[in-house]
Amino acid sequence: MNELYLFAHVAGTAIAVKSTEIEAVVKVTEISPVPGMPVHIAGLSALRSRVLTMVDIGALIHGRKTSSDSWPLAIVADISGHSYGLMVDSVSDICTVPGGALPLRGQLDAAWAPYAQAIVENEGNPYLLVSLAGFIEPRQLSVAA
Amino acid sequence: MDDLLQEFISETQETLEALAAEVVAWETDPTDRDRLDAIFRFFHTVKGSCGFLNLPRFEKLSHAAEDVLSDIREGKRVADPATVSAVLAVMDRIGELAEAVASGAALPNENDDFLIQSLHQAAGPDGAEAPAAPVNNGRREGQQSPLRTIRLPLTLIDQLMNGVSDMVLARNELSRKLRERSDPDLDSAFERLSTCVADMRDAISKTRMQRVDRLFAAIPRMVRDLGRDLGKVIDLELEGGDVEMDREMVEMVVDPLTHIVRNSIDHGIELPAQRRAAGKPEAGHLRVAARQSGNQIVIEISDDGKGIDTSRLVAKAIGDGTLTSESAARLSEQDKVDLIFRAGLSTAEQVTAISGRGVGMDVVRANVERIGGVITLDNMPGQGLSITLRVPLTLTIIPGLIIRAGGQHFAIPRAAIVEILHDSNDTLSLSSVGGASIASIRGVRHSMIDLEDVLGLHKPDHAGPRTIMVVRSSSGIPFAMGVTAVENHEELVIRPASPPIMAAGVYAGMTLPDNGQPMLLLDAGGLSNAARLPNVIDDSAAREADEAVAAEAEIQTVGALRFIEITGEERLLKLSLIERVEDIDAAQFGASGGRGFVRVEGRLLPVANAHHRFEGEMVTSLRLRDGENEAYYPVARVIDIVQMPSVPDMLLSRGPVCGIAVVDGAHLEVVDAFALFASLPAEAIEEKSAGRCILADADDIWAQEILAPLLRHAGHDVVFGIPAGEAMHPDDIVLTTRADSDVETVPKGQPVVRLRSARGPGSKKDKSIYRYDRDALMAAIEAARQGRAA
Repeated sequence: MNELYLFAHVAGTAIAVKSTEIEAVVKVTEISPVPGMPVHIAGLSALRSRVLTMVDIGALIHGRKTSSDSWPLAIVADISGHSYGLMVDSVSDICTVPGGALPLRGQLDAAWAPYAQAIVENEGNPYLLVSLAGFIEPRQLSVAA
Repeated sequence: MDDLLQEFISETQETLEALAAEVVAWETDPTDRDRLDAIFRFFHTVKGSCGFLNLPRFEKLSHAAEDVLSDIREGKRVADPATVSAVLAVMDRIGELAEAVASGAALPNENDDFLIQSLHQAAGPDGAEAPAAPVNNGRREGQQSPLRTIRLPLTLIDQLMNGVSDMVLARNELSRKLRERSDPDLDSAFERLSTCVADMRDAISKTRMQRVDRLFAAIPRMVRDLGRDLGKVIDLELEGGDVEMDREMVEMVVDPLTHIVRNSIDHGIELPAQRRAAGKPEAGHLRVAARQSGNQIVIEISDDGKGIDTSRLVAKAIGDGTLTSESAARLSEQDKVDLIFRAGLSTAEQVTAISGRGVGMDVVRANVERIGGVITLDNMPGQGLSITLRVPLTLTIIPGLIIRAGGQHFAIPRAAIVEILHDSNDTLSLSSVGGASIASIRGVRHSMIDLEDVLGLHKPDHAGPRTIMVVRSSSGIPFAMGVTAVENHEELVIRPASPPIMAAGVYAGMTLPDNGQPMLLLDAGGLSNAARLPNVIDDSAAREADEAVAAEAEIQTVGALRFIEITGEERLLKLSLIERVEDIDAAQFGASGGRGFVRVEGRLLPVANAHHRFEGEMVTSLRLRDGENEAYYPVARVIDIVQMPSVPDMLLSRGPVCGIAVVDGAHLEVVDAFALFASLPAEAIEEKSAGRCILADADDIWAQEILAPLLRHAGHDVVFGIPAGEAMHPDDIVLTTRADSDVETVPKGQPVVRLRSARGPGSKKDKSIYRYDRDALMAAIEAARQGRAA
């Protein structure tokens, strides 16, 4: 159970992501907007020759577009053959957690419910374990749950 | 073990595919030892490998087939049609089993014994079956020496492709940085690197290519089986199997092609008796040919059957209520033939098992157009039908237009654009009724949308006219779309967009242009759906009548030369500008001062497209003339003389191309003759880069021995003595050593440089130059010449 987790903050919440889901964490430089998109699709961004679809997790949770100055970082992930950049407020650490994932406790905010899978504890603080694929295909996940 | 099994399965499947055609060919010529051996080898290999892999059913089947074939090899049996059918059946079963093993499904449990029995019984001496017609697939040669190949996973190739794309982007960035500091050494090294990268990109994209042979592999078998089922004799000709196209493209073309071939055999080619009655040879002729034309693959399927009965098509359309009889009367012959593409129409009297499966030509056309292709029919009633498919070379590179709307850039496939005009154009009038906008272009009314409105963008205030494009989606009807401007046209590398973006329904993919800003490719059909445009054709016949009136005045065609540029694009150039086409020795081309030139008949003429280095020894060049000026235009190859509309179908005002004309269904760029001649240097290129220096004192020893060599060394032509009776060139400069030289002999206005032997000037007015002051002398010559030029 010594899995590597990435710990990040997004939309005021501490989250943990399995490192196997992550390709890289990059600084977002420029996002080309895509008209006609739901609010959480922020646009496209080029990472070398790859084009990332930028997902604004904050907008997904709160339903409001995050202001563009507060997108310093994006987690790059390959989800079913396409490249995505999931925008987070900050990334704090990447390390193994001896205990692994713990079951959810307490009343979870409804906005997070479709995405949260478990709790991961790092240095005594709880983090919400989320799956990046869940942000892209939330319905599939809720069907499975 | 799993690896071995996997290898065995994929190898078997591949050989089966290739072999199907061989078996049919062998049937027509049972004495053909090479083919027999090839088939025998296949069964032998299967038998050998599956014994080892413990696949008893494979072993039993292949063993039986091998037995029969070896009898035939030894002459104990003849390869009659029944035997061939039985062998084919065994091959099919092996294919099914292989498929099942590959997908991990349960093996189909038909009884193999029946097949094996029929294999043995087939040897009956009845031979009553009609001999199959010869199949000429023209690929006998070189069968025995397969290419050395290895198997690669597609993902690895995609990785390579991405790597090269990264490299190109890095190269572009480097190029930008290099431009800021100009260092010729660095530039040439960089140039070399650029060439390597470009070559590499080409080579990598070739790895995705596949021979059209693969597309053809299934046809002989299909033709044979269908022919036997229907009692028709078909002489099949396959051509151009070595043409290569993108492997994904091959997959996309298989279905339409299969359908067309089936149709042709089922409905096109008649029964032998009917053919005889019609005075045709009993065996119908079916020809499938592929060739590359520019960045398109052209696949032509032609038969000599009865063609399409247009009167029946029309009757059927009227019967369905999709066409009124009065509009039918106005249809041209081609319009009538095109009715076959309407959903649910077919001329077949009865639905047969072969082609009447509810899949009509409308589906074929939709499939072809979905991949950016074009399908055209050439109907010769009673004589046959020829169907031409034109598909792009790859799925991933398409010619597109870059448009600007709402402050953003988008791409749209060029094939979807019918016409581009400014809203200030006289032929266009915009009106709106009940909230709907209508654009009437030369009397034809189109639904009008603004791209910004469809996409929910803010429409910026924009000085100057907006651009209206007439867009035709593959299935829908044309509509007019307003955008801020059309910026450019280029070949775009299209990649799929992620599902959330595709979900919007108006995008077809995305592309990453050199500037590193991702751009979305618009989907014409999706836009029309998103704008909820009425998808009703207004009476097309009446509309066409209107158009015909307008068109009479408008469609004037001019002769044009269709050629391939050295850079590979296929373009058109007005024939009247071309004096002749010549092959010129590549060594005669050169460049100076950034302009290309070519030496022809002792003169230097400008090269219009700046190419001056070539691979071959001879260069095909067009000699152009606008009445006064002449120029050469090197091309890779001249294709044909064609008629193009005098005004291109689509106007662009950028770069060397003034528009796009549609010729024979292909979109070709038209070279802008105006821009071409405008870019030429104003004066004819003089071979001497400097004018002549005329030494007035021809007898002077100093002038002969010291001045003349000095001038020659500096690149000037030297003439001794003022030429008598010959007009002097304005750039000629007279040099004289005598201060009081007889000025009368120097024509008026000719620049004169005076030299003196004294070190200091004789007087204040003396503008002569000390004769050993080299710098001053050169400067004076230069100044005198520039004084002329000014």
